[in-house]
Amino acid sequence: MVKVNGYDVPEGLYYSKDYEWVKVEGDKVRVGITDFAQKQLREIVYVEIPSAGTAVKQNEPYGTVESVKSVSDLVAPISGAVEQINEEVQSKPELLNEAPFNNGWLLVIKPTNMDELKNLMNAAQAVEWHKSLLKEG
Amino acid sequence: MPRRIVIVGAHAAGVDAAAAARKTDRTAEITLISKERRIGYSRCGIPFVFGGHIPRFDDLIVYPPTYYKMMKLNLKLETTVTSINKDAKTIGTVDKAGNTEILPYDSLILATGASPFVPPIKGREKQGVFVVRTLEDGEQIDAAIKTAKNAVVIGAGLIGLEVAIAFVERGLQTTVVELLPQTLPAMLDEDMAKIVQTKLEEKGLRVIVGSGVSEILGGEKVTGVVVGEEQIPADIVVVATGIRVNNQLTQEAGIALGETKGIKTNMRMETNVKDIYAAGDCAESMNLVTHRPLLCQLGTIAVRHAKVAGTNAAGGYAVYPGCLGSSVSRLFDLEIGATGLTEFMANKSGIPTLVGTISSKTKAEYYPGALSIKVKLIFDKESELLIGGQVVGGEEVTQRINSLSFAIQKQMTLRELVKADTAYAPPLNETWEPMVLAAETALRRIR
Repeated sequence: MVKVNGYDVPEGLYYSKDYEWVKVEGDKVRVGITDFAQKQLREIVYVEIPSAGTAVKQNEPYGTVESVKSVSDLVAPISGAVEQINEEVQSKPELLNEAPFNNGWLLVIKPTNMDELKNLMNAAQAVEWHKSLLKEG
Repeated sequence: MPRRIVIVGAHAAGVDAAAAARKTDRTAEITLISKERRIGYSRCGIPFVFGGHIPRFDDLIVYPPTYYKMMKLNLKLETTVTSINKDAKTIGTVDKAGNTEILPYDSLILATGASPFVPPIKGREKQGVFVVRTLEDGEQIDAAIKTAKNAVVIGAGLIGLEVAIAFVERGLQTTVVELLPQTLPAMLDEDMAKIVQTKLEEKGLRVIVGSGVSEILGGEKVTGVVVGEEQIPADIVVVATGIRVNNQLTQEAGIALGETKGIKTNMRMETNVKDIYAAGDCAESMNLVTHRPLLCQLGTIAVRHAKVAGTNAAGGYAVYPGCLGSSVSRLFDLEIGATGLTEFMANKSGIPTLVGTISSKTKAEYYPGALSIKVKLIFDKESELLIGGQVVGGEEVTQRINSLSFAIQKQMTLRELVKADTAYAPPLNETWEPMVLAAETALRRIR
């Protein structure tokens, strides 16, 4: 596992600059928030995600994640239709803190255009981006 | 057009107000303005860095810069607000390069805080005389500790004592000087403060009460202080004699101050000027017991003010009912806490009191390691309502103070407290909870 200053940046995923990860699974993608995002938000208390069938658009908000002290939009890393949602995170939002890349996933999306992945970062680029975020900080 | 929310100040109150505003309005343009370079840090933690309990000053930064980015909060750092125009709904700012700017707002939140008050003691401008407020203050004092042998702290309030204890922990010969006849005069009654003073002295801190520092001695650099007839050597002098509200911006804008000189607000934390809110050390609270204005300059109060001010400034609805001034600390290994009124304050407010005090243990009598704990409860003699509590002892003080605070807020009476249901196990408590026993001693006085 690649770590940048203690933040996990797993290989084999795509990353958006809105702190989300994308995992390609055949003709679908699985989406969640990054370790960096959950650590910034701290104890997550509420997750609002759309129901299955909803259309989402790359770079546009589709939901909300709220912690004790902060709130952040969930911004779609890719356009498409929501195929499946992780119902468990709605009753157990702490899963986003505990396992953001695993049980804390949010949506499975059927992308309308896989080419949009080109607008995202690969893991190596994401590592550099995380470093730049921390340097600015 | 998105709502423009401008917040002046970016520590406990400012940042928490921004968070509450963002939670209420997801599209608002929120701007935080601070004179300081580093923001969002805990001032309360500074003495514990001196003492080595927290490794670095930067560890006190609760909100890292990435937080503001994720929350889409605009920052203007090292920038001073110079004016408020309530009619045009704009503020004027100047940054450290001297650039001025006029910023429009729909809602303005003043979280301007307070500044240390240094009494006009002769010699107070000498090198080595410090106040404790900012990280920079902390870093300067920390650097001075490294070469110092003797320290004097003026003021035996919580900050003064926390700093003095840190000095002792760092090996400095330390004296704390308090003008009033007891330590912690705003928090404890004299009988409870005596226990604290004895404990402090046992640990090697010299405590002088009932005397002021009449002069700070030295050339360019401090060498000592004069207390009464005595000269006490000092390489460091820390003045911790309280803070005064930063209310410089208010007069011109027509923002009313209350009788405490804090900014007056309604329950929504709105000032007398529409769409201008105040939160934190600069804002008055209402005392829940006396229903009189109170300046309650604590971190706990700042974040509560801020949540309400931020929510309302962003178009939501929230109210702040008032406070009891509940506070706790740990002085060496002695935990202390208080909530509501002291007996002294109650009598000063004209409330006839009924008092119950008990000395007990923090574990079963026979359990090894049981520590002494003393609980004092103050009741309104007429209504028999609990109006104050103080706890001095080895452990579990914070949650006892919280319980007493809840009891006061829920208007619990003496007779209800005597019959209160509590928990016990030998390693954790006595079968009779000391708070209940203290109530019983009060009841015995009127039976």
